[in-house]
Amino acid sequence: MRDLIFVAFLLMLIGAGFKRPFLFVLSYVYIDIVAPQRLTYMLLNTVPISLIAVSLAIGGWLLIDDKRDTRIAPRQFLMIVLLLYCWVTTTQADFPIEAAEKWSWVWKALAFAIFLPLTLRTRLRIESLGLFMVLSAATIIIVGGIKTIGSGGGYGGLNLMVTNNTGLYESSIISCVAIAIIPLILFLMRYGTIFPTDWRVKLFAYALCFACLLMPIGTEARTGLICVVVLGALMLRHTKRRFLYIMMAGILAVSAIPFLPSSFSNRMDTIKNYKSDSSASTRIEVWKWTWEYVKEHPFGGGFNAYLQNKIRYETVSVDEAGGVATQEETLILDKARAYHSAYFEMLGEQGFPGLFIWLVIQTIGLFRMEAIRRKYQNYADEGEQWIGRLAEALQHGQIIYLVGALFVGIAFQPFIFMLLGMQIGLDTYAQRRSVEAAWRPMNEALPAPA
Amino acid sequence: MIDNFSIGLTHGLMLLAALLLLLRPELDREEPPKPLPKPKAWRDKGGGNA
Repeated sequence: MRDLIFVAFLLMLIGAGFKRPFLFVLSYVYIDIVAPQRLTYMLLNTVPISLIAVSLAIGGWLLIDDKRDTRIAPRQFLMIVLLLYCWVTTTQADFPIEAAEKWSWVWKALAFAIFLPLTLRTRLRIESLGLFMVLSAATIIIVGGIKTIGSGGGYGGLNLMVTNNTGLYESSIISCVAIAIIPLILFLMRYGTIFPTDWRVKLFAYALCFACLLMPIGTEARTGLICVVVLGALMLRHTKRRFLYIMMAGILAVSAIPFLPSSFSNRMDTIKNYKSDSSASTRIEVWKWTWEYVKEHPFGGGFNAYLQNKIRYETVSVDEAGGVATQEETLILDKARAYHSAYFEMLGEQGFPGLFIWLVIQTIGLFRMEAIRRKYQNYADEGEQWIGRLAEALQHGQIIYLVGALFVGIAFQPFIFMLLGMQIGLDTYAQRRSVEAAWRPMNEALPAPA
Repeated sequence: MIDNFSIGLTHGLMLLAALLLLLRPELDREEPPKPLPKPKAWRDKGGGNA
């Protein structure tokens, strides 16, 4: 039954694309995020829907779309360079088969992020992209939110419809992404034109934000909690009554503690007692290993190069019973541990040049969004104010991602590359609009003679 | 049950959004922006009614 619903939905969405080809782009965005082929038992998983959607999206753009004044931003060039560089490291990889496997999805994420801004020619397109990204992610987040309220969740225990832990269905990734999209949800609630602000939109948006905040609790991913703190700090930037805001946030946080499952509090305690936690100690050892590795291999080991690591470390736990503290040291041997950090993932797999290009792409994004935000901050024309607000939402989302990425290996997460594509699209759109606004024929710009 | 509720809600909204997008021509083409406002100082000096 569910299969038929997904098929009908996709057919309608793609069918609409034949009238408005931009809907093909949205179809691909939806398929890439929700991966409906993984939620069904038959029909969809036998058809390469992702390939069909992307072919239609590119075909529609090539054949029908208006390509006048198409701008290619420097970041798109950098992504092309990164794409080619990753291709070369894949051919030289330490583990050719495993590297090829990761390359098979990484190149698609990069290529789509390069292509996406070319299609974002109008406000409505940019908005609808944001809306589809949010609603697609919401399919997973709403499930997570309700199940967390119902059962309290648990690390690796929250069932998000799919059990194979890939894409956004992975608990650490979804808890980071869920927090990163909160600024975008709030933007769509205030400035959306597809679903203009009314009580229903507000109800849905706030409920969705609440579900997003529940994701780190439900998945017990510590990264998510850190992301929530970053989000709180960023929202402080534009709060008029800052003291009241801090007080409210504090009261809310303290009053939430009794409702948190004890497994959550125990796990969050390991943030400060990281020495007793093998997962946190492993990370530090893997990062040390990565640093030693790139000193010998400055161009990285290609995708999945972490498979060769062998680490040994000791965890220290202190037991306090009857006023006597006993310290227990346990030696742990481990191998093939993942990077657990996007920065070390880039460094270990793509070496110094790869990390450098990746960091430049991220940094330009932060600065460009800041520039746009400032430019439109006090813009006289209310019709254009949304540009500054969206730039801010995308920048905040990116900052949350960059902090979360310190502890999760999500350097090539397709959802984040879509957000970067949206940033570039907004940037080129804003530039095009300013040029159009500034230019006027002389006779039109001068006041008419009396 | 929860899964179906979430899928139904978000997919319903996406379908509605797609339908609304079909009805809006500005998805593909949009009006050029209004010319930039005149500098404030100029207006304050009473430089015309425009």
